[in-house]
Amino acid sequence: MSFVSNARSRSLGSGGLLAGFHVPATVALSLLIVAIVLAWSVLPGLFTSYSPVVGVPADKLLGPSALHWFGTDHLGRDVYARVVYGTASSVSSALIAVVIGVVVGGLIGLISGFLGGWVDVVFARLVDVLLAIPKFLLAVIVVTAIGFETINAAIATGVSAVAIFARVTRAEVIKTRQATFVEAAYLSGGSRWFILWRHVLPNASRSVLPLAVLQFGESILVIASLAFLGYGDPPPASDWGLLISIGKDYLKWPWLVYAPAFVTILTVLSVNRISRWLRKTD
Amino acid sequence: MSNAYLTYAAKRLGQAVVVILLAYIFTFVVVSILPGDPVTSVLRNPQNGFTEEEIAEIIAAQGLDKPIIVQLWNALSGFLTGDLGMSMRSNRPVSTLIAEVLPSTLILASAGLAVALVLAMLVAYGTRFVPKKYGQGLLRGFPSLFLSVPNFVIGLMLIHIFGFQLGLFRVINPDSFWATLFAAIALGIPVSAQIAEVLIANLDREAEQEYAAVARSRGIGQARLFATHLLKPASLPVVTVVALTIGELLGGSLITETVFGRTGIGSLVQRSVSTQDLPVLQAVVSLGAVVFVLVNLIADLLYPLLDPRVKIIGGRKRSPTTADETAIGATKAVTP
Repeated sequence: MSFVSNARSRSLGSGGLLAGFHVPATVALSLLIVAIVLAWSVLPGLFTSYSPVVGVPADKLLGPSALHWFGTDHLGRDVYARVVYGTASSVSSALIAVVIGVVVGGLIGLISGFLGGWVDVVFARLVDVLLAIPKFLLAVIVVTAIGFETINAAIATGVSAVAIFARVTRAEVIKTRQATFVEAAYLSGGSRWFILWRHVLPNASRSVLPLAVLQFGESILVIASLAFLGYGDPPPASDWGLLISIGKDYLKWPWLVYAPAFVTILTVLSVNRISRWLRKTD
Repeated sequence: MSNAYLTYAAKRLGQAVVVILLAYIFTFVVVSILPGDPVTSVLRNPQNGFTEEEIAEIIAAQGLDKPIIVQLWNALSGFLTGDLGMSMRSNRPVSTLIAEVLPSTLILASAGLAVALVLAMLVAYGTRFVPKKYGQGLLRGFPSLFLSVPNFVIGLMLIHIFGFQLGLFRVINPDSFWATLFAAIALGIPVSAQIAEVLIANLDREAEQEYAAVARSRGIGQARLFATHLLKPASLPVVTVVALTIGELLGGSLITETVFGRTGIGSLVQRSVSTQDLPVLQAVVSLGAVVFVLVNLIADLLYPLLDPRVKIIGGRKRSPTTADETAIGATKAVTP
């Protein structure tokens, strides 16, 4: 990767900047899908006129049709509406998980990479421990400890992501600290904290961004898994993982599983594609 | 066996012991911050029918009346001597409970790993032989597709297609050959993605090396170049990646067992979570950490012996291939 020491050097190559924003077709499609999913989570009412909670018993277990895109469930509720209304919870909890991972992990990595010495040793062992406990088991015991709710599932997922952000941030900070321009900043009288803020943090964040995007996709999967096991909000909530979990008891009517699963996979696939693209353009 | 290697081995061993102890303490802390008082809520549950004296007896026997630090000390010293305590729910030793279900999970996890390895090799080695025109891109897209599908969805799809539609296996008989195979596939597919990503990246990197260019200029065919020059250097680093996926296999088997209705460590965890059986949870999670740390220790100690390119300098592993990058790649951080 190349270093960016300040805003000026970034704007130097304006042609390079434009070239950097050339968007491949698959990435454009991924961005579109993520945009739709985000819109679902903010304004679900705009995308469906059905209620996610109240069904029409006479219309139960109908297959997908023009009226009901994803069919209806055992209570006659529109599955598409359930998916759309469940998005807010699924997406926002994944966001919370990423924020926890980035902030806590980033701080640990930043401090231990920048200060070094015994602080680094102590944090390194903590990160080792977090990495040693299988991620999903860690999320399960944390959510058991703080209670079965979607928000707690998000916190648990965030905790299990702390270690990887700490690792990557620390590596980036150490790499930047040894760069010539940081040495120059020291020599020209910059204080430790100024250099940390002005030079080290921006450079470290450049490789943390694609990782955060990737982690967003993974968090959706982990939270869906926790919801699938029943560690999230109970029904009538309609988190994607919970919808799939309910659908598994009705495998004769497979759209109850395939519709929410399809939306989950498509979202995570798009998020991963965007992360890959961010990493390439870096 | 050089002096430097022994120093490195001793250092890694010491590190592993420290991490295992800290992991135990960490789990203990997480488990004991549980809100409410699960201990007495289990014991005082009228369904269990304990009298007040019995409750006091159990609390004293489990040492739950002592200060938390004493409890930690007792638990830790028990853990070190192989005593995992008693289950709060069934009043049986935790080690017996685990030993009962361990074989089933071991079968599932090793079958899952085998599926993951075979699939990863098929995909990664395939990219060397499938020309760009005929779907190499598709093959390269597989790992990220596999990473995007939750394993319970794969499990449900397999049950739906092969169990319900084709009738290959019955869900009520989860230990049959077919049911185990499909459970292993559900478990193995997401794991294969990580291995395949690293393999593909390594193959691409080795193919760009000068020695590969020299071999090509000698007129060597694609197949021979792959077999004699690329295969070994690209595949060796996978040892470390496989070790890193052990955690994924353990965590994944928890969900796979639920989906396929198998009895195993996963179902034990599920049951202990719903009954708040803390000693069992504590034991399973810390044993998970022990397995992960030991497997990675073995991989790290084995790797310098397998790969002559790795040099040990001053007690640290140094590798001209980007071993650190592969390690991070496996945890999905950086895919070159």
